Parts: sequence; structure tokens; C-alpha cells
Amino acid sequence: MTGIDTRAAEGARSAQGIGQSAPRPDGVLKVTGEFAYSSDLWLDDMVWGATLRSPHPSALIRSIDVGPALAMPGVLAVLTHEDVPGDPFYGLERRHQPVLAVDRVRYQGEPVALVAADHPERARRAAAAIVVDYEVTEAVTDARRAAFDPACPRVHEEGNVLRHQPVRTGSVFEAPVVVSGEYEVGMQDQAFLGPESGLAVPAEDGGVDLYIATQWLHVDRDQIAPCLGLPAEKVRLTLAGVGGAFGAREDLSMQVHACMLALRTGRPVKIVYGREESFFGHVHRHPARMRYEHGATRDGRLVYVKAEILLDGGAYCSSSPAVVGNAASLGVGPYEVGNVAVDAYGVYTNNPPCGAMRGFGAVQACFAYESQMDLLAEACGLSPVEIRRRNAVSQGSHLITGQLIDAPAPLADMLTELESFPLPATTGTGSDLRDLPGGVSQTTRGEGVRRGVGYGVGIKNICFSEGFDDYSTARVRVEATPDGPHALVHTAAAEVGQGLVTVQAQIARTELAELGVEEVTLVPADTSVGSAGSSSASRQSYMTGGAVKTACEAVRERFRELAAGHPGLSPAELVERFGPLEETREYRHRPTRPMDPLTGQGDSHTQLALCVHRAVVDVDVELGLVKVVELAAVQDVGRVLNLLALEGQIHGGSAQGLGLALMEEVQVVDGRVRNPSFTDYLIPTILDMPPMRMSILENADPAAPYGLRGAGEPPTLSSTPAIAAAVRAATGRPLPRVPIRPQDIALP
Amino acid sequence: MRPFVYERAEEARSAVAAVADRPDAMYLGGGTNLVDLMRLGVAEPARLVDVSRLPYDTVGVRPDGALRIGAAVRNSDLAAHPAVRRAHPLLAQALLAGASGQVRNMATVGGNLLQRTRCAYFQDITKPCNKRNPGSGCPAREGDHRNLAIIGHSEACVATHPSDMAVALAALDAVVHLEGRDGPRTLPLTELYRLPGDDPRRDTVLDPADLITEVTVPALSFGGRSHYRKVRDRASFAFAVVSVAAALDVAGGVVRDCRIAFGAIAPVPWRARRAEEALRGAPATEDAFAAAARAELGQARPLRDNAFKVPLARNLLVRTLTELVVA
Repeated sequence: MTGIDTRAAEGARSAQGIGQSAPRPDGVLKVTGEFAYSSDLWLDDMVWGATLRSPHPSALIRSIDVGPALAMPGVLAVLTHEDVPGDPFYGLERRHQPVLAVDRVRYQGEPVALVAADHPERARRAAAAIVVDYEVTEAVTDARRAAFDPACPRVHEEGNVLRHQPVRTGSVFEAPVVVSGEYEVGMQDQAFLGPESGLAVPAEDGGVDLYIATQWLHVDRDQIAPCLGLPAEKVRLTLAGVGGAFGAREDLSMQVHACMLALRTGRPVKIVYGREESFFGHVHRHPARMRYEHGATRDGRLVYVKAEILLDGGAYCSSSPAVVGNAASLGVGPYEVGNVAVDAYGVYTNNPPCGAMRGFGAVQACFAYESQMDLLAEACGLSPVEIRRRNAVSQGSHLITGQLIDAPAPLADMLTELESFPLPATTGTGSDLRDLPGGVSQTTRGEGVRRGVGYGVGIKNICFSEGFDDYSTARVRVEATPDGPHALVHTAAAEVGQGLVTVQAQIARTELAELGVEEVTLVPADTSVGSAGSSSASRQSYMTGGAVKTACEAVRERFRELAAGHPGLSPAELVERFGPLEETREYRHRPTRPMDPLTGQGDSHTQLALCVHRAVVDVDVELGLVKVVELAAVQDVGRVLNLLALEGQIHGGSAQGLGLALMEEVQVVDGRVRNPSFTDYLIPTILDMPPMRMSILENADPAAPYGLRGAGEPPTLSSTPAIAAAVRAATGRPLPRVPIRPQDIALP
Repeated sequence: MRPFVYERAEEARSAVAAVADRPDAMYLGGGTNLVDLMRLGVAEPARLVDVSRLPYDTVGVRPDGALRIGAAVRNSDLAAHPAVRRAHPLLAQALLAGASGQVRNMATVGGNLLQRTRCAYFQDITKPCNKRNPGSGCPAREGDHRNLAIIGHSEACVATHPSDMAVALAALDAVVHLEGRDGPRTLPLTELYRLPGDDPRRDTVLDPADLITEVTVPALSFGGRSHYRKVRDRASFAFAVVSVAAALDVAGGVVRDCRIAFGAIAPVPWRARRAEEALRGAPATEDAFAAAARAELGQARPLRDNAFKVPLARNLLVRTLTELVVA
């Protein structure tokens, strides 16, 4: 259910231009199982790589004996840190993560050695035959201790706090109504279906070609090349089929490893992680412990917010500093409040490394501040909607960082619309079992079921923040074919399932309509064109969309000059005579600024996006089971480019938020992952995800291409607190931690 | 994974012979549990004798009404069988509450009975575990035990048995038919499993060469009035947190007879004989059901983080029995 009319694009219309629900070119292949994912890569002469990983969260390495592995039949190479040709470290923000462990390991699953063999099983057995002499050392597993106890061992020499970002504004920290709470968010996994995989092929020029499922080809290349001791131009990356990402492919996994083995053996090397290895092969969402205090007037207007947000970054830096920045700058949510003292910390521990995941620091804070808003509503005798509406930001408001919200932000109206949606019918005795808590497990026929309704609001920054030089590159070429002018669009942007390939083609069709272009071909993404930046931060429609649009405009400009000079010729004739017309353009969003290290002040964000959720749940209070009956959402996307794809993003984001609310958690005990499988790490199934009602608003952001607003992440934020609030409403329990499990609810 | 020899058994005697003389040989059914354990290094058989193609793949009804279930019958087929659905709905429900459609299409009856615990320490070969490595210790007692046993466990082991189907069969007085070194024999299902005591290595009393060929379920006049209910962390494809299998015979507001078993609270499918005893002759009321639950769960010795299973099991039993009265 969607409450919008899709508007036609400005200017010339195209049947499959922007605003149309154009079908995705990879859609049929994916649902029929014919799409080639990176794990399907194959060369006849390739060999297989395997990785030996640390069984310990913290240990010194006394020695590594590769002899037993080398002696095994079919083994072509066994490599350790001593074999790294160049820089032994890599990293997104700090180059301190070892390609292979040098003299110590800092987390369970850290890569220690590599094997290439003629069969994947032989490679695995050889890896298991490597003898590593560890001296186990004390593992730092408590983030609070790591941050604040001076006696705690240091995970890195720089100290355990990798970033502390305060935000300070105002000076009044007293109010008639005060509510406080401590909140926790568990470690969520991105749980993509396509495990880490790639194929490295040694090249005649001494370089290497890597076919890889990733989110950002160029930043991979810029980390890989120094490790290999090669110039960037000798490391060429081509995007292989990506089976989901959600942030988990921002960091390197097996990229350098496969290239090292390929260069050493002179053979193409394929590495594919299994599901269990995948849990150790990528970063997760930071678990968070948060303390909040909100002060307000008796009529529910915020006076101040104090918050401490502690994010466990695990063993290496990854993108933790940027996650901390988001948690701090968005730490009180989209509310007007003049007095703020927020402290966000990212901390090193010997837990699994954490980094990017859909929502990126804004998710954790959102659960806490929205829980606080509900407490405040209760304390002031207001409804959850009214307390939010009274404090809602709007265009012209300032964030706690001092940044002006200069684009539409109609949060109060969004809440009013959300509240006006009819509520779903009550379920009860006689209902379809699938609609009841426990579902087909038949735990209830409706007895013991209580209904709850909850609301959640989230604000997410779109594109990279804090002064990062964020850009994308597009090359557009229009050439004549017997069927008329044809456009080739070439970018390095990673299609990770979000539908970017569809949107790029839609933009080209719209912008090149007057050239008679109907057919658009997307050239495979690789590093032979400039960087597109990462498929993260909900930024690719904005950034690569903007780059494609700009390059198309440049082509169109040349075309118009030609048309003006040759008035008798049709578009097809012009392209045939003067083509191909090719232009390459870089697109940048407006500059942002770093946050002040002491006050957090600064215009650090490019664009802000809002989403609001209402959750309706039925809870079996005797058995602790929750059925989310309905999720309703209102999201302002500025401009709809592809309604079908957009609805998919809102469904998926909401489902991922539901997972965090009710079941998804990487369970880490003493630094060790207890549930590295999809049997034990639970993600929502179709039986857990309810139908959605949604309204999509199009209040354009004048600074963005077509006025669009990034859409992928915001729904992930607000669905979690909405569901938690609904379960609280049904049970009367405080529920300060997600995921909420049966033991948190079941009444004795 | 350790390399292994695979062979397909042609008939039961030769299968038994193939395993009897080799301590490192194991039977392979659907492989849905054993193959995972081999990948994890928990099980390291040198030889797998595939018994899934033996002619034990049918379900029949004996003249006395008892169900005969071949050990190689796939879980999906058993759940769908009309005789099961009609006479023992709780068994069909238990099967359908387990795993996923794909797994049920592979998993066999015999393999389902012999699946191993989901205890995280048992599955992690870098950790001590008395079940895997006798005498090495049980980190679960002080560690992650939220979903482990509250009853029937020991100092040495607090694991639970993961099967749904076995819980229903335990309630139904099922009998397991075996082919062993000394020929065929039978065993009540509740005597197939053993409590861990100070030797948790073996989950069952079986000799490694014992091959399950069939399970029989005696006719139960009130089997049609039965249910299997399961609490789990998501709506499908998750192991039980607590489950109950129950059948009830009520006349004139009084419980004439009943069958009750719990899942996921004990190292074995837990036949609740004390609850049954408390119920026979009692009024069919919620109070009596709660008293019966207390009679059984009074023996519970929960661990630090799983005490919630006691009220959960009680609530689930009361709920299930109450519904059976109304039904």
C-alpha cells in the first residue's frame, strides 16, 4: 500500500525513465538462479585458497611452522606475514590491520596464514596442518572496562579509545521533568547470503586482476596495491556478482590474500568463504551500551539531553571513527533541544571487529533516544506521537552540531500521517495461526495475547560526512546502432542488490531522451573508470546518480550544439555522423566540515533523511512470544526514482530493524562467537515479517540531483524502537535491551 | 573435515556388520546433523555407511492400530501421512515444527532420534566439553546456557536434546526396533535415551553398531486429542526453547488419562510421568493442570540464566492442556 502518485520526470519523458518502476536487468536472473555471483567465478586452470585463522581472541604468536602444510600433496603455496610483498597492514581509516597476523592475534578468526592448493578441500586440510604456537593472553572483552579502566590491557598501543567525540551546546541541565535510562544494543550481523569470494588472476605485466564482490572497488584497490607492493595501475578490479552487502563488504576480507597467492603461484586463485568463516570474515554492527538523561518542561518540551554512547569496535579500527561521529551528531534524534552533552566513544577490545552496517552508528543511538522519548511521554502524560511532534525538527531547525536543516524535514506532518493510518484488526481466537505469536508453532490460539502499539522516529545522514572528499565518476557514451542511438554508461559503482543498475539506466534514458536514446547498457563496474565511492551511506542514487546525470547533460550539451549547427538532421542522423559522443564527469556533493573535537559543532552532514514507523504487535505474555502484526512507515525520499525498488528498500530496511528488535544477535562470550551459522544466528523469515503500510513523501532537497534523498538506511533505524515500544506497551516491561527474547517477556 | 570412506548399505545385516568391527564407522541417514558435525570436527568418522536407502521407508498401520514407521522415512513424508495426522496429530505437528521444509525432506526418522545437542560448547572443538571430550569440563555451567537444561542434567553436562519428533514419540510410548550385533531387539523410546550422570559421552544406550530400523507407536484411543506446542525465537526454522507434547482423555470434567512430554528442558525428551500421575483422576481445570506442572517441574534445577524455562514450561503445559479440554 503506497500513498503516492509517481510523477513523470521533468523534461522529455521516457517509458523507462526516472519515476517509473523499471524492471531490474538482473532481476529475472537472480530469481531463477542463473545470476553469476562472485562464488560462481571459474577459470579452468585456477587453484583454491584457504585461510588459517586464530582460534584465540588474544594471543602472542611464538612460531608458525608451515612445513607440514607444504609437504601435503597438491599444495602450491603456504604464506604467512613474512610473505606479504609490501605494506603488511591495511585498513579503511587506519592502516593497522595486519594482512596476516605478525606477532599476535587480537580477535578470534584473525587470518594467520594462507594456502593455495589444487582442490579446496586440500587447501583447507593443509591450512589445518600449519602449526602455530600461541601464547594465550588476557582478552579484553568488556568495552566499558576497555574505555575507562586505566589498568585494562591495551589492544593497540594508541590506547583503547579509538575516538571520543563530544557534542556540547547550551548550559542548562536542569528541568522539571527528568527521565533516564541505560540501554543496550546487541551485535547484529549483516547476514548477506553471498559469502565473501573472489578470483585473483596474475597478469603478464606483473600485476593482478581481481574479480571481487565488494562495495567500493577503488578503496579496495588503494588498500590492496600497497600491500602487494604494486602501483595502483597494476591492480585492476572488476566487480563480480554481489550477494548482498549492508556494510559488510566495506572492509577487505580475502582481497589481498587471493592476490598474494596468485602472484606467488602464477595461477588464478579463487577463495570462497563458507558460512561459518563468513561470520569471522567481516565486521558486524557495533554493540552499544548507552546512558541517557532527558530533561523537559512539564508540557513535554525538551530542555536538555545528556548521553554517553559506548560502541564496541572490537579488535581493529575499520570505520569505527565515522560510526562514532554519526552516533554523536545524531545522538538525540531529530528533535529540537538547546542544551546537549553527548559523549560517544569507540573502543578497541578483543571482540570481533565492528564497522559498517546499514544505519552506521545512527541505529544504536536511535534505539536509546526513542526509548527515552517514550519515557518522557509517559512522565508528561502525552501520547508517544504528541511528545515527538512537540519536539520535532523542521526545515530551519538546527542539529545539536549547530548545522542548519536547510531542506524540507516535515517530521511533525509525517507523524500525524502515520498516526492517521487505520489500525489492523485485532487477532484472536479463530485467527489464522500464522498471524498469532508463535505462528505455525501453535503456541497460542489467541489466549494470553496482548496487543501493543509503538512509534519510532529516526534521522540518518546521507552520503559521507565530516569533510570527506566524496565524489563519483561516470562515463557516458552515445553511439549509433542500426536500432538508433544507444547509450553506454560506465561507472565503478557497486550494484549490491539495491537496484543501482536500474536507476543508472533510468537516469540515462531520461537525460538522453532528446537524443533518441532508449537502449542503455551498463558497462561492468571496474577500476578502468574513476571512483564511484562506496555503495554505502545510502549515497549511490545521489552520488553516482548525480554523476550519470551530469555526464549525460554534458553529452546532451554537445548534441545540442551539433543539432543547432545541422538543423536538417534527425537525432539518429546526428549521432551517426558525429558520434560517438562521450563525456566523463565527476560529481561532488556540497562540502562538509569536520566536527569540532571538543564541542562536536560543525556542518558535518551532506543530507539528512527521516523515516517514522508505527509497529503493532501481539505478545503472548505467558510464553514470551512476539508477532509483529503490522509495520507502517512514512518516509520522505525527496523524489521517487523507482517506486518498486524503493518499496523494496523500505521493506528490507524495516525487516532488518525487526531482526535487531527481536532476534538477531551475534552472541559473543569471552571474545568468542557462539553462533556463527544461520541455524543459530536467527534472521527474520517471511513468517516473522508482517505486511507493511507505507506512505512515501516527495519533498525535494534542492541540493540533490532530482531533489532525491537517500533511502536505504532510514527505515532500518526507526523500525527497531517502534517494535520495542510496542512490546513494552503490550507487556509493561521496561525492555532496555534489543534483541528482546522470550525470557525478557514471559511472565512468571 | 577428516577424509572418510562412503559406502551404501544394501541390507540391514551387512550394514551392522560394516559398522560392528570398526570403531570409527558411523551410520549416515539424511545427513542433516551428522554432516554439520563432521564439518565442525565434532564427529570424525573414517567410514560412513549410508542406511537411508534401506527398505525402511514406509509408514503402515498394524491390525492392532499401531503405527509402523520405517527408520528411513523422511520427516516430511511422516508428517504428511494421513494415519499420522488422523490418529496422532501431535506427532505431525512436532515434525512440522522442526527445521525447514528442505531439511525435513532430507532428515530421516532414525537420524532425527539420534541427532546431537545444539549446545554451543559441544559444537566448538576448541572448548572443553565432557560430552565430546570426557573429563575436560563443562564451560556451559558458568557460560552461555540460556537454552540448556533445567531438569535431568548433571554436574558433567547440561545439554538438551534438540529433537521435536522425539518429544511426541516419548509421549506416545513409542517403541524403537533395532538390528544389532546379536540380531533384532526392541526398546521403549524413553529407555533409548540416557541421562548424562557423570558420563555424558553417550546420548543413548545404543551400541555403535545398533541400527534403528523401525519405530512403532501403539494405538492410543485419545491420540486424536493431542497437541505439540513449541516456543522458539522466531516463527519457523529455530530449535525449541521449550516444547510440550500432550494427549488428553477427559470425561465428565475429569482427566481419565493423559500423555505428556517436554522438549528442550532436559538432556532427553522428557516424559512427564509425575505430571501425568498428578492429573489422572483430577478435575480438568487450569488449577489442576498448574498443579501437575508443578509436580513435574518441582524437580527442576535451573542454571543462572535459564530459570525462565520453569514458568515457561508450566505456562505452555497449562495452555496446551486447557486447549485440549476445549477441543
